[in-house]
Amino acid sequence: MAKYEIDLSLIFQALSDPTRRAMLAQLGKGAVPVTTLAKPTGLALPTVMRHLAVLEEAQLISTRKTGRTRICTPRPETLAATSAWLAEQREQWEARTDRLENFLMTLKDDDDAPL
Amino acid sequence: MMRPFDPKLDLELTRLFAAPPAKVWRCWTEPLLFCQWWTPPPVTTREAVIEAHPGGRFFSLMVMPDGTEMPNDGCVLAADVERRFVFSNLLTAGFAPADLGEFGFTGYITMTPEGTGTRYTARAMHRTPLEQQTHESLGFHDGWGTVSDQLGVLAGRI
Repeated sequence: MAKYEIDLSLIFQALSDPTRRAMLAQLGKGAVPVTTLAKPTGLALPTVMRHLAVLEEAQLISTRKTGRTRICTPRPETLAATSAWLAEQREQWEARTDRLENFLMTLKDDDDAPL
Repeated sequence: MMRPFDPKLDLELTRLFAAPPAKVWRCWTEPLLFCQWWTPPPVTTREAVIEAHPGGRFFSLMVMPDGTEMPNDGCVLAADVERRFVFSNLLTAGFAPADLGEFGFTGYITMTPEGTGTRYTARAMHRTPLEQQTHESLGFHDGWGTVSDQLGVLAGRI
């Protein structure tokens, strides 16, 4: 688990809000200015900025300022890493059980532990 | 009773081992044996404390190839000799709530005699928020599947 630099709890918290999911959905089409993201939500800009900050902290998006416009860009690699987490847990358990099975084969029939 | 199995959320695997339950039990509960299979090389398990009774400590110290130590502390929840071993990292010894920086899980191991061997199952149960949110992020709600597809396409381009 430690190998993921991403913070899963931040990601899940970010994804738990429908407004933020809608923003991410729009970002799926590509990078857009904050004002474009804000329009369909009908929310005040400060509220939108707060949502974006949550998404950015979770590394689901990045933002940069160009001139007087702030551009939001999706970071799909973060979502991919999240999906991979459960699959990795399965792999670990499979491998662990393989090792147990192999190790059991090395134990003697009289139940003595190998030294 | 165990939570009903949810294939989307829990992990479970079943094997038929040639060894009898007594040996499988020893491999889970005797530190000298446990340390020999718990971690994949080159990572090693240098130390283990396995108090095989409810509330007992379940501790292992993993060591990375570069010498970094990773202690894992947990609590034994059920220990029925040669039948069932249940532990979690959401608690520490004596059923004390753990101060957990990452996701918790419960490991539920059963061993049942079958022929001269053991029918072995290992289940890992994860915390509900993780499960629900993972479920969601994998695309089962609100058209999020479409988003994931789009992000996936995008990921292929960057």
